[in-house]
Amino acid sequence: MSSPRSRVTTLARHEYRAAVRSRALVSLIAILAIVTFVSIYIAAIAYRSALADYEVYVAAAQAGGVQIIAPSPLRLLSLLRGAIEYIEIVGAIIAITLGYLTVSRERANRTLPLLRSRPVTSGELATGSALGALGIISTLVLVTGIVALLCLGLIGNSWATPYEVFKVGLVGIASVLYMFVFYSLGALITARTRVAANGLLIALGIWLLVALILPQIGDTLDADNQIPGGLFSALAVDKAQETEILTHFGTYEFVRTGIEELSFAKHYERFAFAMSDVQDKYQGFTLAQLAREKWHDIVWMFVYAVALGYGLWRGFRRQPALPQGEKS
Amino acid sequence: MEEPAVEMQGVSHRYGSAPVLREIDLTIEHGEIFRFLGHNGAGKTTAINILTTLLVPSAGNARVCGHDVIADRSKVTERIGYLPSDVRLYDHMTASENLEFFAKLSGVSDPRRAAAETLDYLDSSELGPRRMSTFSTGMRQRIGIAQAIVHQPSVLFLDEPTSGLDPSGVRQLRETIFRLNRELGMTVFMNTHLLSEVARVCTTIGVLNHGELIYKDSMAATNERFPNEASLEDIYERMEGHPS
Repeated sequence: MSSPRSRVTTLARHEYRAAVRSRALVSLIAILAIVTFVSIYIAAIAYRSALADYEVYVAAAQAGGVQIIAPSPLRLLSLLRGAIEYIEIVGAIIAITLGYLTVSRERANRTLPLLRSRPVTSGELATGSALGALGIISTLVLVTGIVALLCLGLIGNSWATPYEVFKVGLVGIASVLYMFVFYSLGALITARTRVAANGLLIALGIWLLVALILPQIGDTLDADNQIPGGLFSALAVDKAQETEILTHFGTYEFVRTGIEELSFAKHYERFAFAMSDVQDKYQGFTLAQLAREKWHDIVWMFVYAVALGYGLWRGFRRQPALPQGEKS
Repeated sequence: MEEPAVEMQGVSHRYGSAPVLREIDLTIEHGEIFRFLGHNGAGKTTAINILTTLLVPSAGNARVCGHDVIADRSKVTERIGYLPSDVRLYDHMTASENLEFFAKLSGVSDPRRAAAETLDYLDSSELGPRRMSTFSTGMRQRIGIAQAIVHQPSVLFLDEPTSGLDPSGVRQLRETIFRLNRELGMTVFMNTHLLSEVARVCTTIGVLNHGELIYKDSMAATNERFPNEASLEDIYERMEGHPS
């Protein structure tokens, strides 16, 4: 008799292999790989040029006997911005497609009754599928991370320090979590709809809402975003005055922030940008400082992942073993 | 004393308010080839779905090899093989990969060897390395049977196994069922609404009519009971018209 562990492992491997053999999924992964590589490649070339300029400046300053040399304004990890944004968009679509394929494959092949006539519980089926998907997502993110770091070193002429590699690793974990949420969403909604393609469309609609529309609404409603460079800067209002002014718009800010908080994508983006030095204000922060600043986004990401992971598990458990409508 | 291969006591099932099975009492001993006859919608597939643990009956008890299909689901699923009607399997995998996958789920210690031996037993070794998406209905059916027996179950459930097969496919299937029963000792429980194909292979028949079991006896006894009927079709029509 097989053990639950061996059955879950078998199901996870099966899911992994099925995903790798799906042309639609492989095409999407190829698109993500290409756009990510191009984005980092272009950024790395610009970085190399800027680095060369800086080195010329340093050499000239040293030759001129300058005692205090300005530190480099360049931030290596900020070159990953494009990669993070592509994971945010294309990665989410890949994850939704993966979730859709998990369910639609069993339906199209009519294999669910065969699986359930074996010593496989619905919980094992859900766990195996989710682990297989996590395997695919982790491989994708890991390969993207390694290629990105190699690009920085080989093309940008600047190798990441162990601390920077660690921060990229944290962004990778957040990326896996982010894609797993969208995988769960795709699988859950497809499992709940009678026609699998409708599930895919609904999941893509939700992705559109949380990854693009809600953050855009939040940004548009932000008073400081109304003019280039920032409204408060243009008015020569300092941070203390800005805070004081915004207290008069408490309800407005509450609604605006609430809309942004609804977006899982926004939490991922805020965390990933902070870790990869994309935002100036976090430059030079230690890991503890970054964690203190971003705990809110970390908690929200875990809340979303746990909620959707649990929803997926329950959804799979409730999925009927027999095709709906088969009654004779 | 060995428990019966299949035992149903007062099993009923309904979809919404529509009854599909009505208090079925049925016992099938090990080594039998049992055939459920009945028109479309008579409840044959529902009965198999209950016995393969895919459906919980509205009322009554069902046991396979002495294990309750609800309380001892995992023990039941270890002992059965199942071939649904319109079997598809995984198109992106080869026949061998499909068999290995299902063998692993059933806890077979050497899935690769079991898959190869099963294909060899069914004279289908040449299908092993081919993808399922390239198969005809008859080939799919052969691999479907292979997945159902790859873990050497005690009881084999076949739901409309001849659907979509040409006459030579039906003959091949009939011979396979006969061999599985005689050589490997498998009890076979199958559904069909076609009649002429069954006469030579089954040992026992049961007739379902609108969810009621109206007849169950051995083929030998059935032939004795209806000596004047020319074919099983005639016997079936008579039984449906005059339940005993």
